[in-house]
Amino acid sequence: MTGPGYPWFTRMLSVLLLALLQACAVNGEGYDTVGVSYGVGFYEPYGYEYGGWGPNYMVVPPRHNGVWRNDPNRFIGGRRAGAPAPSYRPADPSRRMPSIPSRSRRR
Amino acid sequence: MNIVCKWLCVGINPAARPGKGKAQIQHSLQRLISAFILFFCTSLAASAASFELPPLMQPASSEHHPGKVIWVDLVTSDLDGAKRFYSSLFGWTYKDVNAGELNYAIALLDGRPVAGLFSRQPPRDESKRPAWLTFIAVPDVDATTQLSVKNGARILFQPRTYPKRGRQAVFADPQGAVFAVLASASGDPPDVLALPGEWIWSSLITTDPDNDAAFYQTLFGYTVFPQPADDGQEHLLLATDDSARASINPLPANAPKQRPHWLNFVRVTDAVATAAQVKMLGGRVLVEPRPDRHGGQVAVVADPAGAVFGLLEWVDSDNKEVAK
Repeated sequence: MTGPGYPWFTRMLSVLLLALLQACAVNGEGYDTVGVSYGVGFYEPYGYEYGGWGPNYMVVPPRHNGVWRNDPNRFIGGRRAGAPAPSYRPADPSRRMPSIPSRSRRR
Repeated sequence: MNIVCKWLCVGINPAARPGKGKAQIQHSLQRLISAFILFFCTSLAASAASFELPPLMQPASSEHHPGKVIWVDLVTSDLDGAKRFYSSLFGWTYKDVNAGELNYAIALLDGRPVAGLFSRQPPRDESKRPAWLTFIAVPDVDATTQLSVKNGARILFQPRTYPKRGRQAVFADPQGAVFAVLASASGDPPDVLALPGEWIWSSLITTDPDNDAAFYQTLFGYTVFPQPADDGQEHLLLATDDSARASINPLPANAPKQRPHWLNFVRVTDAVATAAQVKMLGGRVLVEPRPDRHGGQVAVVADPAGAVFGLLEWVDSDNKEVAK
């Protein structure tokens, strides 16, 4: 490859390598030498119908005057009292459930 | 680079030419190709360097709220269509950020950045659709990356720094829901009530709320509040800094084809009217407006390209009774 028959090829390869190195250096991280791809290009799977939320399907927290009640006769997080411990660490039952921040923005 | 330029100049120096005629033409051609490659690569590097995401906060904030959803990006194939839709719906205006083939627009509400809209052609696999990507605040992206992987997440995009924006990375959680983390270089948005037209809430809809709650708790230090639910399923609320940040809900049992995903909600004053407007603008209503535990209405809609987001009514005063 580096013999007298291919000097132009090796030179071209060197230039290409040098240019690529420069591209990596400019990008800082070097994992994405194309650089112009912002890195959040993802699409979610398509082809299913959304929804199926039943009447008790709730996603929003109570307002600040709402009280999070730890009533042992009710389902708590889908687990009746005495059910196996969850994988997460649940909040202390005495804690009041916080809500969405209600402070107004300063103008 | 000077060395390369000297090397290229050899091509036009008669003393350096090895021969005449055919060989001379061949050498000139070779150097021309080399110059073209060099030009192409340096142009590419230059365009990458010129792409700068604006800071989240201007002026910079001293606040940091790990676990808070602080940004959302829409990845869509129809940037102009998306701009028109969200502008008509929420009054967003836009500031374009272009670099080479990349088109990215910052959506603004009253001059404040609220979201990013990113143009990208869909992959060849047509079973995909545009989506909103949820960015959660972290103090250290690299530490979070290590923790994520250790706890079963997949890295979709490695940590990367954008000087003004900060450092960010994208993951799929153990159940497959895609989310991003961001260590904002300009601090996090303050914990204030979102205005109508701003993002106010986020929900993770997943196959395994229990294990996902443990995963996100490990990453972001959430306090997890199991919610009373009469359907026998697990509904959880996540909080940090004494503020609710997100909910975790199970994928509905009667929708087996759905996949785990994050769903972000925009605050509206009238969910029914806004849902009607979504339809009028070419979008779809996926979950009709319905009351939730805060006493207001929520709905789930999709923009004309199919990106799903939520609508959430929230009144300013705290005098509304909790739905029983």
